[in-house]
Amino acid sequence: MNRLFDNDWVGPALVCLVAVVGISILQPSFLSPFNILVLLSAIAVNMVIALGQLVIIAIGQMNLALGAFGGLVAICFVAVMELYGVPPVIALLIGLAIGTAAGAASGFVIARTGISAFIITLAGLQIFKGINLGITEAQPFYGVPQSVKDFGNHAIFGPIPWLIVPMIIASVGMWYLFNRLRIGRYILAVGGNRTAAELSGINITATIIWAHAISGLLAAIAGMMLVARLQIGQPTIGDDWLISSFAAPVIGGAVLAGGHVSVAGTFFGVVIIAIITQALVLFAIDPFVVQIVLGALILWAVGINRYREIRVAKLNEAR
Amino acid sequence: MTALKVSNVSKSFPGVKALDAVSMTLTGGSVHALLGENGAGKSTLIKIMTGIHAADQGEITMEGRPVRFANPRQAAAGGLGVVHQERNLVTRFSVAENIMLDRLGANSLSRVDYKALAAEASRWLKQLDLDIDPMTPVSRLSVAQMQLVEIGKALSLQSRVLLLDEPTASLTPSEAQVLFRILRKLRDDGVAIGFVSHKLEEVFDICDTVTVLRDGKNACDSQPLKTLNRDDVVKMMIGRAERISRRAPRPQPAAPPFFELRDYSSAAGHENVSLSVRPGEILGLYGLVGAGRSELAKAVLGLARQTGGEIRVGGKPVKIGSVAEALDLGVGYVSEDRKGEGLILLHSVLDNAGITVWKSLANALGFLRDGTVAQKVGPVLRKLEVKTPSLDQTIGNLSGGNQQKVSVAKWIAAGVKLLIIDEPSVGIDIKTKAYLHDLIHELAEAGTAVLLITSDLTEMVDVADRVAVMDDYRIEGLVENDRNYERVSTAIMALIHGREAA
Amino acid sequence: MTDVTADAMPARRQGSGLLRLLLSNEFGLAVLIAVAFGTFALTLPGFTSPFSLFTIGRQIGIDTMIGLAMMAVIVTGGLDLSVGAIGVCAAMVFGWLAQAMGVPLPIAVPMAILFGASLGFINGYAVVRSGVHSFIITLASMSIFFGIMIFLTKAQAFNQLPPEVTQFGKTRLFGMVSVLLVITLVVCVALSIFYRFTTLGRQMLAAGANPRAAELSGIRTGRVITACHMLTGALAALAGLMLTARTGAAVPSMAGHLGQDWLLPAFLAPVLGGTLLSGGRVSVIGTLLGAAFVTIMTSGLLLMRVGEFWILACLGLILLAAVLTDRLRQGVLRKRGLI
Repeated sequence: MNRLFDNDWVGPALVCLVAVVGISILQPSFLSPFNILVLLSAIAVNMVIALGQLVIIAIGQMNLALGAFGGLVAICFVAVMELYGVPPVIALLIGLAIGTAAGAASGFVIARTGISAFIITLAGLQIFKGINLGITEAQPFYGVPQSVKDFGNHAIFGPIPWLIVPMIIASVGMWYLFNRLRIGRYILAVGGNRTAAELSGINITATIIWAHAISGLLAAIAGMMLVARLQIGQPTIGDDWLISSFAAPVIGGAVLAGGHVSVAGTFFGVVIIAIITQALVLFAIDPFVVQIVLGALILWAVGINRYREIRVAKLNEAR
Repeated sequence: MTALKVSNVSKSFPGVKALDAVSMTLTGGSVHALLGENGAGKSTLIKIMTGIHAADQGEITMEGRPVRFANPRQAAAGGLGVVHQERNLVTRFSVAENIMLDRLGANSLSRVDYKALAAEASRWLKQLDLDIDPMTPVSRLSVAQMQLVEIGKALSLQSRVLLLDEPTASLTPSEAQVLFRILRKLRDDGVAIGFVSHKLEEVFDICDTVTVLRDGKNACDSQPLKTLNRDDVVKMMIGRAERISRRAPRPQPAAPPFFELRDYSSAAGHENVSLSVRPGEILGLYGLVGAGRSELAKAVLGLARQTGGEIRVGGKPVKIGSVAEALDLGVGYVSEDRKGEGLILLHSVLDNAGITVWKSLANALGFLRDGTVAQKVGPVLRKLEVKTPSLDQTIGNLSGGNQQKVSVAKWIAAGVKLLIIDEPSVGIDIKTKAYLHDLIHELAEAGTAVLLITSDLTEMVDVADRVAVMDDYRIEGLVENDRNYERVSTAIMALIHGREAA
Repeated sequence: MTDVTADAMPARRQGSGLLRLLLSNEFGLAVLIAVAFGTFALTLPGFTSPFSLFTIGRQIGIDTMIGLAMMAVIVTGGLDLSVGAIGVCAAMVFGWLAQAMGVPLPIAVPMAILFGASLGFINGYAVVRSGVHSFIITLASMSIFFGIMIFLTKAQAFNQLPPEVTQFGKTRLFGMVSVLLVITLVVCVALSIFYRFTTLGRQMLAAGANPRAAELSGIRTGRVITACHMLTGALAALAGLMLTARTGAAVPSMAGHLGQDWLLPAFLAPVLGGTLLSGGRVSVIGTLLGAAFVTIMTSGLLLMRVGEFWILACLGLILLAAVLTDRLRQGVLRKRGLI
């Protein structure tokens, strides 16, 4: 039993279960097909965003520019389709390339200069956001092709949206990366004990660049998913990613110092946030309360993680 | 046969010559002890061998070929494995992954084949007689097992030379015996092993040859240990001249104790510690690494919770919750970790020396001027002959000895009545060391109570009036110091080992 | 290094002073400001008009204050993402007091600043007690502070403030100097004195540079770090009030979503000015010069009709350039043994 609770995802999963049961008793429309569709669409996008931050948390850093990457990719994605008539598939590839390149560039600067990721990604945030607004002059692009719009608001069957597909690919991919691929293990090794990783012959610079490139790639996917969901190329896409991108991984038991993350835990973190947001809407509570709840959730999760850390340390000492 | 040869290696750091034409030869199939007191140059030598520092002069050859490693990674690839004092493992990863960390796959996107890793790792674990599942996370292992995993990691790189830096520091005697059995086995397999330790018993137990460093020079270069006895080695480590104390035993002051612990227990693990220091007395606190001496000092200062017993200062029972409260009671602590805990390297000499007196010098509104602070600490710094271009100099630029003087000066300036000094002579030159010893005596003569913590027996015999011996977070007994090195050291060792030594 | 014994200790460092000065952040910034200002003054008509100088000075005043707020917590080696949220919250409290409650201004202003300090106290207390890095604590608190503020104000502005507020924001001395800039200069002087001549200020620097050593030297590090966060809160509140005086209203969106718009000026000014992100060293004058440089560049580029959005990108590049130059500069100084 105790062993089960040592898994990062069990706690958040239980919270999800209780929340779903509780809310649907109070408000049966919570489980209506439409509501589930809306919920799953939100979860799909937010999960990919959270994964983009998760890979940076794994290496013990942070990425403030995640939203700026996503926003820039989103408007570039629509812009090339609207202005140059590029087919959506090619536009998608261009978007992925931009996100990955932007991530790799910021990873390169961080790894080579040794300056804190915080300050570099803060500068990156400003640069990419500025380019975004410079291109769009803060006006949305409306020329989103029908196929992309359909992807964003159609269901595969029942209440299951198409948007869930990229989320599943990204989640399984990241789980596989962290558990089975050399680069994923190296990212965790550098985050867990940088000196040990370095002395063992791991190329720290390359590992950091990889992590940031993957983060950029995921931000790009999330940005384009949002274009499909919102049906327009909004320049404000990405502005509000920062808090939730940290909240979900932290709720999922990620260690902020690096070296330990949980994809499953992050998923349930995303679900908790989505359920609470949705519940506030259903109960007609001021949507800004979400901000308060998000902040409180982060503090709560940080507290729990801290408690678990201390407990593990005590157990190890006793042994 | 010669696996690794160090010839005439010299290395200088600003203000100090760390190594002066040092030589050492490690041979395959033998265990070689590298001995020396703190600051003798052992760690510098290891850092040069493994490429962390570059030598100014001299040559290192492995199996006849000159080598010059740029970093520890290259050294490992070249067959020189090191097991450092700090654990260098990713604790959340499995044993197998840690051993094979640099060989998880051909490229970044390769799949990690855990089965193959486990198979390869268990080969090395078997060689180390370590019966654990290679998929166990390292965090579940004991300290001794972690040590063996690190050795396994070094071996898996086909190391022909294995350097172990104080490998037994955090092991129990029986764990150490397991380690020695494995080292003997590796030796018989033809590995050249370099063994750094403070514990002479161990050295005589396992080593074949010995190199002793003293003040950055060879006191002996790769001699067979069979030709030497314990006294010879001690003589080489500390130098004959220093063994005869310059000081006569001092009469014990009659005043009642200024500082007293009665059955003191702490959350750090101390149990029923009792000791007392009178004004004008120098009480030594001796113990091996890990005995809980520095931890005692810090616990008493309020950094660990008191769980039992009593602290009395000036005859009255007190509770100390923080260093600030200790300072108010007249208790100061000079840390052994000068750079991490003693000084603020980024700040000036003046700020470092004045940090303890700011509060008392400031006016009612909390204002104070540099001039006021300089008036207070200037005379102390002058008295201690701190060499600095100006009071404004960043303290990180001073030599180790001068830094140490400043970290003592700040407590003298604060006028403490009990000064706890932890390993005062780590990383400073002989001259400053002698000076500090004189200073400690002067302080005691002036009525300060001194608690001296050191693992340097010579220093202990030379400076302390009485020696309290600590082992495993308890006080084992008290030895009166009559400056007779043989008698005192035998008595101390007897207390630590709980038996009469031969 | 020539050693002199303490007998002849000069009060100040000697030698290589010129190189040190030339390589200092403050000198570099002063040169950059002079060059930028000179270029714009010569090429852009209207750049030196009294009104232009007034608006530039006003902006320098506000940006410097935001930068000082962040600097006060960077001292500890930490940071405070919630400066913007605190600034806006304090401004809204001020608006509520002055407009809805009719509290006289001389009371409303200190109360708002006190309120900012108490929000800072919450941050500091949480950071010290939990031992979690200030990044994640203030990330959470920025969301909470801002959320509560929006919830209570229903996102409505207080725009019927007493006329003295707007009047104050428009006040010019000598026809071109904004009174907001004067306030900032006074705060700069006060902070310089604070860090150099008071016990608490020195303790903040010591606790920031090496908390362990400071604690072992008898400094109550926990309290001092909490005090740093309170100072940040108070300065952020002051910045929020100055912004209110400029706009003439307390607007919930004046620092963007969650107050995020303040993050760049908050870090740009201290980092340009040579405050160490790892803590333990501040430069109040550097922060002022950093904010001045950024404002002059922004104003000049705006007058040159560079789109305001591209200027955002430029500021990001300036931040990047600043940290990279700092690396180079430290390299040179270290090689010559000057730090």
